[in-house]
Amino acid sequence: MEKTIAAAYENAPKTWVYKLLLVFGVAAMLIWSSSTIVINDTTGSGLSVAKNILSGIFHPDTKLLFNFTNSGVLYLLLETLCIAFLGTIVGAVISVPLSFISASNLMPRPIALVGRLAIAAIRTVPAFIYGLMFIRVTGPGPFAGLLTMSLCSIGMVSKMFIESIEDLDKRILESLDAAGCTTFQKIRYGILPQLFPDFMSTLIYRFDMNLRDATVLGLVGAGGIGAPLIFAMSSYRWNEVGSILLGLIVLVMIIEWISAKIRTKLTRG
Amino acid sequence: MRNILAPQGTSSPSWYTCGKEGKPMIVFDHVSKVYPNGTVGLKDINLSIQDGEFVAIIGRSGAGKSTLLRSVNRMHDITEGTLTVEGVNVSTLKGKELRRFRRGIGMVFQSFNLVSRTTVIRNVLAARVPEMPFWRVLLGAFRKEDKITALESLDKVGILDKAYIRADQLSGGQQQRVALARTLAQNPKIILADEPVAALDPVTAKQVMEDFVRINKEMGISILLNIHHVELAIEYAGRIIGIHAGQIVYDGPSKEVNQDVLDAIYKEAVPQGKQT
Amino acid sequence: MSFYDRIFKPRRHTLSNGKVVEERFTRLPLIMLIILVCTAISVRITGFSFSVLLSGGQRFFDILFDMFPPNTSYLPKIWTPLLDTIKMSLLGSFIGAVLSIPFAILAASNIVTNRALVFVVRLFLSLVRTLPTLVCALIATYIFGLGTMAGTCAIAVFTFAYVGKQLFEIIETVDMGPFEAMEALGATRLQAFIASVFPQVLPSYLSVSLFCLEGNVRYASILGYVGAGGLGLIMNEKIGWREYSSVGMILIVLFVTVIAIEGLSHAVRKRLT
Repeated sequence: MEKTIAAAYENAPKTWVYKLLLVFGVAAMLIWSSSTIVINDTTGSGLSVAKNILSGIFHPDTKLLFNFTNSGVLYLLLETLCIAFLGTIVGAVISVPLSFISASNLMPRPIALVGRLAIAAIRTVPAFIYGLMFIRVTGPGPFAGLLTMSLCSIGMVSKMFIESIEDLDKRILESLDAAGCTTFQKIRYGILPQLFPDFMSTLIYRFDMNLRDATVLGLVGAGGIGAPLIFAMSSYRWNEVGSILLGLIVLVMIIEWISAKIRTKLTRG
Repeated sequence: MRNILAPQGTSSPSWYTCGKEGKPMIVFDHVSKVYPNGTVGLKDINLSIQDGEFVAIIGRSGAGKSTLLRSVNRMHDITEGTLTVEGVNVSTLKGKELRRFRRGIGMVFQSFNLVSRTTVIRNVLAARVPEMPFWRVLLGAFRKEDKITALESLDKVGILDKAYIRADQLSGGQQQRVALARTLAQNPKIILADEPVAALDPVTAKQVMEDFVRINKEMGISILLNIHHVELAIEYAGRIIGIHAGQIVYDGPSKEVNQDVLDAIYKEAVPQGKQT
Repeated sequence: MSFYDRIFKPRRHTLSNGKVVEERFTRLPLIMLIILVCTAISVRITGFSFSVLLSGGQRFFDILFDMFPPNTSYLPKIWTPLLDTIKMSLLGSFIGAVLSIPFAILAASNIVTNRALVFVVRLFLSLVRTLPTLVCALIATYIFGLGTMAGTCAIAVFTFAYVGKQLFEIIETVDMGPFEAMEALGATRLQAFIASVFPQVLPSYLSVSLFCLEGNVRYASILGYVGAGGLGLIMNEKIGWREYSSVGMILIVLFVTVIAIEGLSHAVRKRLT
């Protein structure tokens, strides 16, 4: 019995070699990446800035927060909300045909591939580039922001739409066919009911994210809460930064909570 | 309801050992368990199990078999009475002592409770984890002695050749043996088994029961197991304990279990007692 | 929603055998109304107008056509920022993913029995998640100065929150049987977690982290806009100088990189699950 046990021990698969290689590989990549960690903080101001930020956030400028005029935080949050809302809708409108084209179970493979490449290309362009481009079209302001958001949404929305489309259960179409339905009826009663909850869920999820990304727009002057945030930061008015951040976080959390509820309702019916 | 304690000196089957030293291993003394919502789990249990015995507990679902078993290693707490294992009052243990105590008791579950994605030997090595330093646990770096112990345990249940295969690629019976090997790697004095063969087909169930018998005879480990199949219980265990509505209604040699006894154990609940 | 039912009474259908079935009045009109109102408000506030779109749309494509053909001679200058972007994403994702592990464990209600602790940790994770990455990067540039350090930090924070949430959700759906077995043989909760739960969640965890890494590479280019290093920085520069063909080159390089990384990550993730 001793012999067999010893034999089994010796014959254990030598997985440690792979593990060691993996660890080395990862470590090498990390060390190579660590050149990005550069702290040129010779004056020690970094820490004091952090302290100021924290104190500013915890003592928000309430005057700015509750200012109901055009430049008040609340109005800008509302503007950001509207930008995200319409941006998601416009993005959805563009995504739907695009995803149908790119679905490999509905279209021949080459076309689907082209569609996907197009979506990937649209997705790669950073938001601020779209922002700058749209500002040329509409002038600075929330309209440009809306259009930017819609293009940015296309990436994720299309990807999830395509997944839903490719997961379609074709058997329902079969039974509708057997009942004698026209193509239009098959689409309306066979395909749409399957896609609709997923689509809505995706759109709500994206709306969430657009709300957060809308701060980018402020950077390029495309409206929303981003602009005053940047101004306040560059003037080191951390109290204002605090109030804006507070408003933003509260808004996002509320919307997130509502959207989570809606989404569970959609999936559970 | 009759309460028969094992008569001394009866001619018992060869595997019914009344303990080599005859010392009491597990002693229940007027033990009761009442849940917070008022349900009675166990009612006035008096039981003494000797070192080296092989005891099977039978009864309906919800009668209290599981509760009885799990109170031995304090997976469930009792509300009244004293439960002593090897002289130690189980209710007084906590923290480190409780964990040290549990290391001496092995437990086998109905659903095997293996980590399906890892290899068989890693599952058995899990038994050595409580005695290893943190960094070894984190990195999964087991020492040679531990690995040899694990391999020996696998050999004792006859699946040494499957040591480096992923656990979920084995059949149900083999997986239960891995679970058994895991308990053997703890070097326990007692093995508790909660419906160990309920998820297995009849042939494999017999094989696993024979494994239990072998472990009990060859290694002298006391075995306390819950089981639904009365025939298996009578065939393999020396002593049967019948539980009904949280109370012991039969405690005696398996030979003497007859239809009356079974009726007492499995009949419908009388309205006076609370069915859990 | 019984309030709604009181206003729009459910319709009652009487069957031929006398049974009565109530059909709730469909919520659809209400939902449509809400959506229309929201749209109207949004259009008003954002100044959406088709006419502007039509008249100005041409200019959008003007810039687009300016970008192609791209300026290939600019390519050598792109390498360093590109590598910077990749490095930032790698390191940031790694740090974020690793840091999220203890927090995800603490936020999993099946491992930690103290409900207050679970609630607080989840709240913390939510808070960090709602912080827009760009804001994070901006703040980081003030603390650490311009450059890649700020970007890495921002990415780490975002990854931390995202992976943290996904991870604790994964942990909560894990099979607790082996965990129970470990506790029965005398292991501490932490030991039981490492030996039984972690092997189960590891593939999903790696999958989620890789997915986050994919997104972070794209994100990293945006961060450069606020001065956090990488491709975004030079993009910003070139746009400022209106050298659109160079911008086009950068975009192409970014596109190829993203596709490569996504393909790689996809392949690895397929093998994990």
